[in-house]
Parts: sequence; C-alpha cells; structure tokens
Amino acid sequence: MKIDHSLPLEYSTEENRLKVLGFWIFLGAEIALFSTLFAVYFTLANRYGNGPSAKEIFELKPVLIETFLLLTSSFTIGLGIHAMRLGLKKAMMTFFMITLVLGLGFLGVEITEFVTYVHEGATMQTSAFLSSLFTLLGTHGAHVTFGLLWGTAILLQVRKHGFTPETANKSFIFSLYWHFLDVVWIFIFSFVYLKGLM
Amino acid sequence: MKQLFPLPHVMGFVFSLILSLVALAVVYFDLSYTAGMTILLITAIVQASLQLLLFMHIGENSDRSTLYTNIAYALFVGVVTILGTLFTMVWGYN
Repeated sequence: MKIDHSLPLEYSTEENRLKVLGFWIFLGAEIALFSTLFAVYFTLANRYGNGPSAKEIFELKPVLIETFLLLTSSFTIGLGIHAMRLGLKKAMMTFFMITLVLGLGFLGVEITEFVTYVHEGATMQTSAFLSSLFTLLGTHGAHVTFGLLWGTAILLQVRKHGFTPETANKSFIFSLYWHFLDVVWIFIFSFVYLKGLM
Repeated sequence: MKQLFPLPHVMGFVFSLILSLVALAVVYFDLSYTAGMTILLITAIVQASLQLLLFMHIGENSDRSTLYTNIAYALFVGVVTILGTLFTMVWGYN
C-alpha cells in the first residue's frame, strides 16, 4: 500500500481516493431517490381528502428545533473532520459524539412529532397527503437512524486504532453522509414545512 | 482551542442559520405564492451549496471533475423527475 504523505490521511492511498469517489456516486443515487419521494409529495400534497391538511397539522416549533439540531450537528461533524486533519484524536471524538447526540435529539423530536400526528388522527392511511408525507419524512429519519449506528461504529474504531488511512477514510465518508442528510433536511424544511405553513 | 474552530466553518454555520431565518419570513409575512417560493428556492439552494462546497470539501478531491459531472447529472435527473412529475400530474390539469 502506497501512502502519499502530502495528502490528508483520508485521501492518502489509491483505494481511499476511490472509496471517496464511490461514495459521491452513491450520494448521486440518493439525490435521485429523494427526488422521487419529493415528486410524489408535491403531487399529493393537496389531496388530503377527509383528513387534516398540511396547515392544520404542521407546527413550527418542533420543526425549528429539528432544523437547529441538524444544522448544528452538520457544523460539529465538519469541525470533527477539521480536528482529524490536525491529528487531534480527542477533539475529533468529542465533536463526533456531539454530532451523534444532536442526531439523537433530532430523531427524538421527529418521533414525538409523528406520535402527535397519529394522536390527532393523522396516520399514514388517512389520506394521500399523509402517506406521501410519512414516506418522505420516514425515509429521511431512517437514514438518520442508520447514521447514528454507523457513526457509533466508526467512533469505536477510531478509539481502538487511532487515525490510520482506514479509519480516517471511514470517518470522512461518514461526514459526507451526514452533511448530505442535512442538505435533504433543508429541502424538507423549506418545501414541506414552510411551504405547507405559508 | 482556537484552531479547533476555523473561521470559514463558523461563518458557514452562522450564515446557514441566518438563511433558515430568512426562509422563515414566508410563514410570518403575507407574501404571494410566487414571492414565497422564490425566497424558499434561493435560500435552500444557497444553503445546500454551502454544505457541498464548504463542509463536504467537494473541490479538494483530485477527481473533482468526475465528481462535479456526477453530482450535476444526479441533480439533472432529480429536477427532471420532480418537474416532469408535476408537469404530467398537476400542471397539465390546471
């Protein structure tokens, strides 16, 4: 394995560079996936039948908390990667842990929100609008849940092995995934919630 | 301590919070549908680009032209999917 020391660890071998490239191609496929879900939601957003409309069930406060938590977690994981490039293991692990805690907080608020909707009689079976809403939000939430498990696994590896070309590469790729989830959330925040409340 | 918080990252974070607040204006002010959607589109796209360029370091990869092509293609597919669906399922019936 040839290691190029002029580059950050996560790019330092040919394999690492290809893994980062491969992950970006995966993110391209994720963009296509979320586009189809957004397309379905935009088509069905006004088809609420006898159920509640977007304006009736959406609440601004939990949505703002979710947005703030996810934006901040995206910031802290960016700081984590920066600390990793400085070779500061403890700082990097702290930032990653803060990121995961914020992600967990986001998930907690989102689950509470879903429970509230269901108690108000707005379930996935109620209307076309709610089916598409829960599918879109649920897919994003499932990605966050998976990210929490993945991030924890990476933290354990960094704790055990320190920064190696492998662990640095894994951490960097995980940060790309996390930032991507934040980008998807920005679109959900703008075109599902704010548009629905407009 | 200071080296842990690089200025571009902090500025990027503050800027994305500000953009979220600007987007909030569509809820609090009585804007027309077109004006509201324009604001949302601009703030969302600027925020997404901020993440992509600043936090995801897309420009520093040695395969960056491949990356840009891939992401541009994915965005093209996404936009065609969304606008095409709206065109055939919603706008065509108005």
